[in-house]
Amino acid sequence: MRWTVLRRCVISCALLMLVLPAAARTRPHYGGTLRVEIAGDPWQRPDGLARRLVFDGLTAIGTDGAVKPALAVEWSADDDDHRWQFRLRPGVHFQDGTPLTSVNAAAALNAACPSNCPWTAVRAVGSAVVFVGDAPMPALPALLADDAFRLALTINAEGKTPEGSVGTGPFQVAGFNNSVLTLTANENCWQGRPFVDSVELRVHRAVRDQWLDLSVGRADMVEVSAEMTRQAQQQRLNVIAQPDATLLALQVNDSGPLANPILRTALAEAIDRSALANVIFQKQGEPVAGLLPQRVSGYAFLFPVERDLNRAHELRGGLSLPPLTMSAESGDAAMQLAAQRIALDLHEAGFTVQMVAGNELRTNLTLRRFMLEGGAPGAMLETVLRAANEQPAVIGDGPADLYQAEHEALERHTLIPLLDLPRAYAVGARVRDLRLNADGEPDIANASLEDAP
Amino acid sequence: MAMRLKGWFAAMLVGMLAARAAAAAGPWDAPAAALTAQIAGQMGPGQAQLMLRNLSSIANGDLPAIRRLLIQDLKVHGITVSGAESANTVRITLSETAHERLWVSEVVQGNETQVAMVRTILDAQHSAPAAAGLVLRRQQIFISHEPVLAAAELPDSLILVGPEQIAIEQRTTTGWQTIKSIPIGQRRPLPRDPRGVIVADTAHFDARVAGMQCTGSFLGAWAIACHESDDPWPLVVRVSGVTLSAFYNGARNSFTGVVTPSIGIDLPAFYDAALLPRPAGNAALLVGGIDGKAQIAESGALKDVSGARDWGSDFAAIDSGCGMGVQVVASGSGAAANDSLRAYELPALEAVPASTPLTVNGTVMALSSAPDAKSVYAIVHDADDMYEVDRVTALCN
Repeated sequence: MRWTVLRRCVISCALLMLVLPAAARTRPHYGGTLRVEIAGDPWQRPDGLARRLVFDGLTAIGTDGAVKPALAVEWSADDDDHRWQFRLRPGVHFQDGTPLTSVNAAAALNAACPSNCPWTAVRAVGSAVVFVGDAPMPALPALLADDAFRLALTINAEGKTPEGSVGTGPFQVAGFNNSVLTLTANENCWQGRPFVDSVELRVHRAVRDQWLDLSVGRADMVEVSAEMTRQAQQQRLNVIAQPDATLLALQVNDSGPLANPILRTALAEAIDRSALANVIFQKQGEPVAGLLPQRVSGYAFLFPVERDLNRAHELRGGLSLPPLTMSAESGDAAMQLAAQRIALDLHEAGFTVQMVAGNELRTNLTLRRFMLEGGAPGAMLETVLRAANEQPAVIGDGPADLYQAEHEALERHTLIPLLDLPRAYAVGARVRDLRLNADGEPDIANASLEDAP
Repeated sequence: MAMRLKGWFAAMLVGMLAARAAAAAGPWDAPAAALTAQIAGQMGPGQAQLMLRNLSSIANGDLPAIRRLLIQDLKVHGITVSGAESANTVRITLSETAHERLWVSEVVQGNETQVAMVRTILDAQHSAPAAAGLVLRRQQIFISHEPVLAAAELPDSLILVGPEQIAIEQRTTTGWQTIKSIPIGQRRPLPRDPRGVIVADTAHFDARVAGMQCTGSFLGAWAIACHESDDPWPLVVRVSGVTLSAFYNGARNSFTGVVTPSIGIDLPAFYDAALLPRPAGNAALLVGGIDGKAQIAESGALKDVSGARDWGSDFAAIDSGCGMGVQVVASGSGAAANDSLRAYELPALEAVPASTPLTVNGTVMALSSAPDAKSVYAIVHDADDMYEVDRVTALCN
């Protein structure tokens, strides 16, 4: 146990060293084109990179993890947190010139969240956006910083649906050609024009090809998956990383053969998290049994991570079950390998697991990645539970309340936390002041280029 | 009898707490007292084995003292710490998050475990003292959550230029008190690296931020007015008393290179400039170009300064009276978490370090010379998103 904790500290410290904000000692230059390559879809919900660059939320999470104003400048709650009112920042325009109003903000939020929202209704009341909930919403300001709730214009000033994606963010869409999404600086961005003139986002690019492009100077920022972080460092790539930015967890369907909570507990006891971290993720993942990372909650050590195969057998009690189906949410190799490794662990505990390439709703077990965003611990917990389609309890302010809420969520054993994984990028020599936000997303708007004209 | 026992116990409790209070309160007293009170509420009086572990940044050398404190506080609540033979175990973990300390207890009684927690603030980080040599000394004169771009210190007040407001702070016996604050009222979005300047005396000030000018005059109280302006920003007061001004690119973060009155030399676009008096009575203008070069404009020519590659984008002249008399205090260009300031002398066209680096608690956002040039003001943005105004002076050694 002690070694686990020590190892955790060493890895976290090492990754934190990579992400320490480099102070802007020499002022950033304006101009140039930043070339970014990614393996996925830039518009993918919730964390597609283009969404971050084009859209803003009502609130944002600062580098210190605190909620800060964004498109809303102030907010207040009444009716015991059942009703929230957000006052919009004056003078903000969408990239097509449409002014930001409470009407188009409410319409954008309704479009962003058609169901399972943290609120029951959102509407424009005068110049404010008002949220009403059947349950109290104490963490709403932090939840609204979530990428899922960024505002995309749905009705422009002429009452028409705009063509393409229009937001208030630092970059606007200029075109998409040959797998390259071109974004140009929004000169009138309410946060100030970004330093670079444009971003070229090459999408659906294999990671190996990304690294090659970086090495020959064809790319400025590329992705580094958790399991490849060590390799990237060995190749002397300039890696920036945010530790515990994503949570790898096994989502358990509590209907069908796993309706019995004791069987779900047995699953949780049977998984060897250390083997997953050491073998599949090349010692870059951190075994966890809690939903919130230690740096956020401070009490993650209370949830033991050690495998207990004897207890798993004991809990299963010799029951004969039909084969369980399991899928990995993402098709990438590491996720597939991790799922196969888990299937082996469960087999040792007497469960038969069949790997399927299927929809999570149809399988008994789904291996998923959850973004650890939301800044404040309560909001982060609520975000993870919502992403898992679980109804979060109302979480109080103190650490004991938070622990209680997390403990209750884990007791259901419908979401079994496995590893906290870092989020990392490799950047070229001409990129300056590129930092990662608390959730591991790069802050491209505040980056600049050394050789900008 | 029961009442008398209760009274005796209460008296003893008060006595012990008073004795604790009489001793100097340490940083661990409050969390230890709060946590042991919760533990007592969970397990009641009795015996328990105490296990203590440290997952926080607290030095291991502090653990024996914390353990003694916990034992003492548990005893106050009627819990005696015993050996491994006890049926009850109290596990206390000293933990922390990125923002606060968290002390967690687990009270294990049979198969049941009860958890309690208390949180407390993380200690402030201390910066290393300045080393010997020409010594730079830093004195924090103001700190705020509100962004500060420039500051001017007057005898009993401080004028702060923020991106969106001008504030006048009055010195009181308990600290600074805002006596006036007015919005600058920009219509254009602020740039991402906003900058500002202020020149002030006891009766007037002239402050600039991108696209705006604010002037103040003191007639018993400060009257401040702001308006849109693309006029050049006051940069430095020349030896003759004439203010040298420079056009600022309000959509960027640098000066265009055009100065007024003209000095007869085409300057490159630059981030900062400082006037260096020469023994002959004339002066040279030091500019830090956006290309990273430091250059001196003097006698109709612009010449590169060597030895300035460690400089950041901000510098200011200081008339310390030490060594050559005038030095340049420059921010560093390194990649450490905290910025540093260092004094340099420029005997010819070479920057020669004249002091050891002085570490500051964050990033230097701006440097400006005080009106008497005996010190410089540094605006520092720290990791907690606080803005400091520091007065930096140079001591001869």
